[in-house]
Amino acid sequence: MDTLAKLQILSGAARYDASCASSGSKREASVGGIGNTSQSGICHSWSDDGRCISLLKILLSNDCRYDCAYCVNRSSNAVERASFTAREVVDLTLEFYRRNYIEGLFLSSAVMQSPDVTMDRMVKVVETLRQEEQFGGYIHLKIIPGCSSDLVRKAGLYADRISVNIELPSQVSLQRLAPQKHKNAILEPMALIGREITSSLVERKADRRAPRFAPAGQSTQMIIGASPENDFQILRLSQGLYKKMHLKRVYYSAYVPVCEDNRLPVLASPPLLREHRLYQADWLLRFYGFSAEEILSDDLPFLDETFDPKTAWALRHPEFFPVEINRADYATLLRVPGIGVTSAKRIIAARRFSAITPEGMKRIGVVMKRAKYFITSSGRTFEKSLVGTPALVRQQLLLGDATATLPPRQLVFPGFSL
Amino acid sequence: MKATKRYLYDGTADGLFSAISWILEEEADPENVVLAEREQTLFEDGLFINTDSIQAEQLFSRLRNRASDAAYTLYLFMLAEKEGMESSLLHYISLVYRYGDTVSGYLTHPAVRDIVSIAKKAGRELHRMKGLLRFEKLQDGAYLAKMEPDHNIIQPLASYFRTRLRAQHWFLYDVKRRTAARWSNGVLQFGTIEQFITPALSEDEKKVQLLWQTFFKTIAIADRKNPRLQKSNMPMKYWKYLTEKQGE
Ligand code: SF4
Repeated sequence: MDTLAKLQILSGAARYDASCASSGSKREASVGGIGNTSQSGICHSWSDDGRCISLLKILLSNDCRYDCAYCVNRSSNAVERASFTAREVVDLTLEFYRRNYIEGLFLSSAVMQSPDVTMDRMVKVVETLRQEEQFGGYIHLKIIPGCSSDLVRKAGLYADRISVNIELPSQVSLQRLAPQKHKNAILEPMALIGREITSSLVERKADRRAPRFAPAGQSTQMIIGASPENDFQILRLSQGLYKKMHLKRVYYSAYVPVCEDNRLPVLASPPLLREHRLYQADWLLRFYGFSAEEILSDDLPFLDETFDPKTAWALRHPEFFPVEINRADYATLLRVPGIGVTSAKRIIAARRFSAITPEGMKRIGVVMKRAKYFITSSGRTFEKSLVGTPALVRQQLLLGDATATLPPRQLVFPGFSL
Repeated sequence: MKATKRYLYDGTADGLFSAISWILEEEADPENVVLAEREQTLFEDGLFINTDSIQAEQLFSRLRNRASDAAYTLYLFMLAEKEGMESSLLHYISLVYRYGDTVSGYLTHPAVRDIVSIAKKAGRELHRMKGLLRFEKLQDGAYLAKMEPDHNIIQPLASYFRTRLRAQHWFLYDVKRRTAARWSNGVLQFGTIEQFITPALSEDEKKVQLLWQTFFKTIAIADRKNPRLQKSNMPMKYWKYLTEKQGE
């Protein structure tokens, strides 16, 4: 099979992987070598579904020994199989990089003969890129659960980011749908990576020449809607991964039915809105100072479909509002629906010069559609009759709002504005 | 209300910055000054300030030392090649003198908002082109990238690729402005090209392009086609030179 035919199969098989981020790593180009990485990440194209293309995202092989219920590549499924040689992946990466098609490589794989054999071949690819070809571009490498810790360590030395997929939000579901995968084989490398990242950071403080370990950190991905866990369980899991394992990102992937299996739920369509709401809630955990317990509870275990999680929280907490934009601190401003990180920073920067009027809010580019129900400026309300009356605000938001149109996935690319 | 004073300069960048420098030294209240390009009419409405390129350079270096972020904003603003913004520029720089780098947060001030938002647009296109630029391999092994950006970004773009693709020879060519950058043997040069002759591509170039086009097609999820989102992220004006958008 020629490279083109393989590429067709093995990029097609990687297409459902959500993460394409290429940010968070600063690697300098070496003399005579090719490539560097950009701290803020760069999109090189946008595919026909509107998603950012930043990395050459492919599987090394789709020839899988395992039989996970939710996966096209499972061994009992009749699909065409292909495997790249290490050299093929290296050449593709370099040829694409030289023409500025990509920021680098995102390599994952099905489980070939064994986790060790597979991981070994993946490490070979990145080793060749870094050592022989002096490639300084971005590399994201998936860890195959169950491979030796030596291979995990090697992977971390060559890659900018490594990730172990958690796959499903609970051990019970994992056992049911992916019986050959074990919770410990997933959590152990995660913990190992976390420790290595931390110790490399410490060593590099003492000596700048100490080797870097996955400088863009560790991420993971889980499938949403293939198993019965609620959003509260999922968010608490993510919160734990951020706090205890220091993960950089958790990706959520709406379950897309690709094969029939009586262990799987029958869905009318992939739960895209749910996925989107989880990303919004995840954003609140990482950048807005919210905890999972503030967003959801045992009595309220699912995210609101109508309102984004911040608005939903605000409507449940009328006592918090109105917020005075000329006095409130950054953390408080961030809790106002419609005010994001950029707007909050702009408000704080602008009010150093003079108090911000409603007119001024527009000038500095704060979108008022939502925020106006929740703020005052120098004591004056924007929507006089409504502040402090959640029921009315709720109604008003529903009327003047187009939340019904489903926002596409992976809209946000961090660090994109200058 | 005090009467506004009106000054004129010769229309060059040097003239503009030396005029601004002069006004900032001589005028107590630059906010009440209007600055415009001199037009070839019989009666001049305003006082003409002579161009002094040394003074212009001094203004820039002072800004760089005192407020490097604001100086970078000005640099980006200049890439936009906007006309008729002299007074805003003057007011912005006088505010930089007063407040330093924090001035970029003073978005409630009209001059600051004008300058910052134009600079942001230029910066956004610069960032975008870092991703959207496409090189093609030529017969002699060098690489060529053509583009038609809205802003005059060839200089910062070239210095970006100087580090990224330092081991290969390449050219950038701005088709609209007829300017080119050339990186070869560790030297970066800029120039203009009067007559551009499209060079022959290397033999394997079409093969690599086909690989990329194939990847581009297969990576999209077919039942989630979203041309609107694609176009808003990657406006059609850039498609002309995108390898993956050829022959669509
Ligand atoms: S191990 Fe991975 S590729 Fe193999 S069946 Fe499971 S999910 Fe699919």
